[in-house]
Amino acid sequence: MKKGEGTMIITIGLVCFVLCTVMFMQFKVVEETDITQLETMRESELREQLATWKERYEEVNAEYEENIDKINEYIDKRESNQEASELLEKELESAKLTAGLTNVIGDGIVVTLVDNVKEVENNEEEEIEDDYQVNKGKVEASDLLTLVNELRLAGAEAISINDQRIINMTDIFELNDYIILVNNGINGRVTSPYVVKAIGDQTYLESALTTKKVGYVDQHSELNITVEKQKNILIEKYKGTIELEYSTIKED
Amino acid sequence: MTKNKVAITLGIMCLILTAAVGIQIRTIESTSSTVKQTLKDDNLRDAVLKWKEKYDNKYRELEQSTQQLEKERQKSTSTDATSIEKQEELKKINAYLGLSKVEGQGLIITLKDNVTSKIGTAEDVVHDGDLREIVNELKNAGAEAISINDQRITPSTAITCIGTVILVNDEKVGAPFIIKAIGNQERLWGAITRPGGYADILETYLTVDIKREDKILIEKYNGVLTNQTLKNEE
Repeated sequence: MKKGEGTMIITIGLVCFVLCTVMFMQFKVVEETDITQLETMRESELREQLATWKERYEEVNAEYEENIDKINEYIDKRESNQEASELLEKELESAKLTAGLTNVIGDGIVVTLVDNVKEVENNEEEEIEDDYQVNKGKVEASDLLTLVNELRLAGAEAISINDQRIINMTDIFELNDYIILVNNGINGRVTSPYVVKAIGDQTYLESALTTKKVGYVDQHSELNITVEKQKNILIEKYKGTIELEYSTIKED
Repeated sequence: MTKNKVAITLGIMCLILTAAVGIQIRTIESTSSTVKQTLKDDNLRDAVLKWKEKYDNKYRELEQSTQQLEKERQKSTSTDATSIEKQEELKKINAYLGLSKVEGQGLIITLKDNVTSKIGTAEDVVHDGDLREIVNELKNAGAEAISINDQRITPSTAITCIGTVILVNDEKVGAPFIIKAIGNQERLWGAITRPGGYADILETYLTVDIKREDKILIEKYNGVLTNQTLKNEE
C-alpha cells in the first residue's frame, strides 16, 4: 500500500465519521421538536384571544369617551342654565335602539329557511320511514335558536325572524309541527318560510354561516337555506313592552 | 481496478451521506421555526395578558364615568317630572340589557359533569347546546335576568365552544355551571322541573341541582353593547 493511498482512506473515513455524527445529532433535534407541536397548536387560539381583548378594549374605550362627552354636555347645559331634557332623550333613544324597541335600518344579511318536506304517499309499510323523511328537512325551534346564537357570535346588532324582533329575553319554542313561537310573552307565531334578518358586519355575518363544512349552512345540510347580503335592511321593533316585575336594580 | 472500486464505493457513500445531511438541515430549518413559534407563543400570551389588563383598567374607568354621568344627569334634570320618568325608564332598559346589577327571587340551577360514570361518553359532560336550551326555557318562563357563572346574558351574548371549552360572552366558563335566573319563582320552577323538560332529560346523564331562592344577586355584563351599523328608521 502506498503512503498517499493510506492518507486518502483515512481522510475519507474521517469525513464519513463526521457526517454520521452530524446526522445523528440532527435526528435527535428533530425528535425533540416533535413535542413542541402541541405548543404550536395553541397559537391560533391565542391569536383569537388577543383579537377579542383588543376589540373589547376598543369598545370600552369608545364607550368611556362617549360617557365623558355626555358628562361634559350635562355640565355645560347646567352652567348655561339650559334644559337638559334633550340630552336625556338622546340617551334614552340610544338605549331603546340597543334593546330592540325601535325600528332600525342597516346593512346585513337575510337568511331564508324553508321546510324541506317531501310528499307523503299513503303506503302503510313505508310510514315510519316516511315520517323520518318528512321531519328531517323540517325547520325546528332549535335550528333557529342555533342560528340566532351564530349570528350573535358574528356580531349581529339586530335580528328578527319573520318580523318578530329578537330581544334579550326572546325565547324560541315549537308550538306544534307547523308553528314556532318566537317571543312567547307577546304570542309571536312564525311559520315556514322563516326569514331571518340580521344587521351587522356583512362579511362577518356571511362567512360565519357559509364557511365550508363548519359553517351553519353546511352543518344543517338537510335544511333548505339561502343566505343573501342586503343593504338597508329594515328590522321592526319588538311589539311588546319591557317589564321588570321581580328585579330590583342594585347600584354599585 | 480495486482502487477504482474503492473510490466509487466511497464516492457513493459520501453522496448518500451528504444528501441525508441536506435533507435533515432542511427539516431542521422548518422545525427551528417551531422553536421560534414557542417564543412567539410566549410573546402572544404576554400580549393577551397585557390587553386584558388594559381592558380591565379601562372598564373600571368606564364604571366610574357611568356613575358620574348618572349624578350629572340627576343634577341636571331633577326638577322635571317627565325627566324623572325618562330617567327611570333608562335605568329599567339598562337593567334589562344586563348593564346593571339586579336582585330578586328566582332559581339557581347547577349543572355538573357526570364524574361517577365509568364509561366517559359525550353525554356525561355539559355542552354549550345544553346551556342554550336551559337559557331558552328560562326565557320562555319569563326570566328577567340570567347569568351563567356570573357572565350576564345580554342581547349580544353567544354561548359557544372551542374544543372542550365553553365560552359565554367570549369568556371561558367551566363546570360546575351555575345558572342564575330572576323572575316569577313558581313559573320558573314549574317550567324547569316539568317532566320531559330539558333539565329532566339532562338529569339522566348529568348532575342537575335546582334551587329556589328569594334573593338572588345577578352581576352586570362586564363589557359594553355597541351599535356600529345600526340606525333608527327615519
